[in-house]
Amino acid sequence: MVRIIGKYIRFNLAAAMEYRVSFLVQVLGMALNNSAFIFFWLLLFEKVGEINGYGFREVMLLWSLTAAGYGINEVFLGNGRFLSPIIYRGELDVYLLQPVPLLPNILCSRMNTSGWGDLAYGIVLFLLSQELTPLRLLLFPLLCLLAAFLFSAINVLYNSLTFYMGNAENLAGSVYNMVLMFATYPGTIFKGASTWIMHTLLPAALVIWIPTELILDFSWEKGLLLLGADGLMILLAILLFRGGLKRYASGNRMGTRL
Amino acid sequence: MILEIEGLNKSFRSPVKAAGLSGQVRSLVKREYREIRAVRDVSFSVPRGEMLAFIGPNGAGKSTTIKLITGILYPDSGSISVLGMDPHRQRKALSLRIGTVFGQKSQLWYHLPARDSFDLLGSIYNLSAAETARRVAELTQVFELKDFLDQPVRKLSLGQRIRCEIAASLIHSPEILFLDEPSIGLDVVVKARIRDLIKRLNEESGITVFLTSHDAGDIEKLCRRVIVINEGTAVWDGSVKEMKYSLLNRRIIDVKLEEELNLDLEGVTVLKSRPYSAKLEADLNRVDMREVMEALIRHNTIQDINVSTIPMEEVIAHIYENRTAGGVGTWEA
Repeated sequence: MVRIIGKYIRFNLAAAMEYRVSFLVQVLGMALNNSAFIFFWLLLFEKVGEINGYGFREVMLLWSLTAAGYGINEVFLGNGRFLSPIIYRGELDVYLLQPVPLLPNILCSRMNTSGWGDLAYGIVLFLLSQELTPLRLLLFPLLCLLAAFLFSAINVLYNSLTFYMGNAENLAGSVYNMVLMFATYPGTIFKGASTWIMHTLLPAALVIWIPTELILDFSWEKGLLLLGADGLMILLAILLFRGGLKRYASGNRMGTRL
Repeated sequence: MILEIEGLNKSFRSPVKAAGLSGQVRSLVKREYREIRAVRDVSFSVPRGEMLAFIGPNGAGKSTTIKLITGILYPDSGSISVLGMDPHRQRKALSLRIGTVFGQKSQLWYHLPARDSFDLLGSIYNLSAAETARRVAELTQVFELKDFLDQPVRKLSLGQRIRCEIAASLIHSPEILFLDEPSIGLDVVVKARIRDLIKRLNEESGITVFLTSHDAGDIEKLCRRVIVINEGTAVWDGSVKEMKYSLLNRRIIDVKLEEELNLDLEGVTVLKSRPYSAKLEADLNRVDMREVMEALIRHNTIQDINVSTIPMEEVIAHIYENRTAGGVGTWEA
């Protein structure tokens, strides 16, 4: 599977390069779009100083983890957010007929080029805005990878509902965007029931808040708890997808691989 | 037997929505479902090396049956054995030994040359780089892909693309090739070419071909056996020749005469009549061919006569329309 993933990356890059200008515009556009938020937070913190223990640098850490984790997911596991249309249009057929593990094959077969902009932005922002220690330099890529897997698990989990309810594309898209949005705000501003939601249904806490805390103040206990929770979320996504496959109805819509 | 299907059933649940806005709103509160039995108790087997046509009108259950056989869909009941394997329990192992072409779905990357897709598929099917290169060279020669192998797929004509699709499905040298409407949208020349390639492939490599098509030529020129499926039930399983000759038990008679046609015989319909020629249709369930010939000779002076069977297109049209005339009603086995 590793060889195939490598080929997918090469192929998707080659396909993106067919339209070089579009590729560059998307990558640079996304990096610029993200940069605009730096000024927003800079202005805000100049006025308020601190929000529930989060200052400008901490928020920039939230942003770098989110952008890099999201970028990895979009670049290397880019088909996840298209899973719902793939299911209801009957496009799983092609993947089901190939002798490789189904979910990795689906997820890795598409690259969303703007994700390169997010990934580059996340890395550069981390390097420029944070105090760099060997532990942080080790933790950051690992936690970005973990965030990417979790973003992907959220996509698989909610898009797999399509097997059960017909079309979950909008629901899954909204959840993905909400997690993405909440992830970039300090977790400490949420209280009560909303905190529970952020740890379960919209797990921004698992994707970004807890990893941010780990980079700021590492503890094995918290790290292991995060790994356990992430594992559970990923397992749930796989089980829901697998269970749904038995209900897959396919279809005869014309289609092509892009 | 390379393929054994026994008592296969598959149903789908489809929501029923009343028309209009009020119906849509009602379906939000209380949704009703209709069960569609796509495949009903289908059984058949296929020996190695056979070219089998699997035909039926749109929505008859052809594609669903192929998808059940290839492991894409789960059956409600019944057993499927493909190359001795259960397609659902051994999906990955089976996919290494079967190839599929869905005319409506592409396995080639739209923006990249077909060569790149072949290369990727080689990796997916666990072939080494050298094996993939050898296989691509072979298939390029057989399917004559050399001139456009390095062009992005989006720039290929439909015929070129289908040739690449079939070649892609053969990259791992499968033992069974499932072709689901491979000639859809192709012109007659390209269709004939694709047919020749499939036939050659079957003769040279002994690959078993399972073909669904609406094209009479595909069925007549490629397959010796045909299974007709209608409303999810297999209604005919036999040779193409037998279906053509015995099921639509009619003959077309073209006669050239020295005067106007003089014939009034039950079971014979005059399709066209001119002063010196006529076209007749004889229903052999109602009249004997000998009687028709005798009546023709007795009442007319014949210069030339030609008797032909009903064209295959018409046989298929009759199947799809589910007509009972001409022996179709006796199909239900």
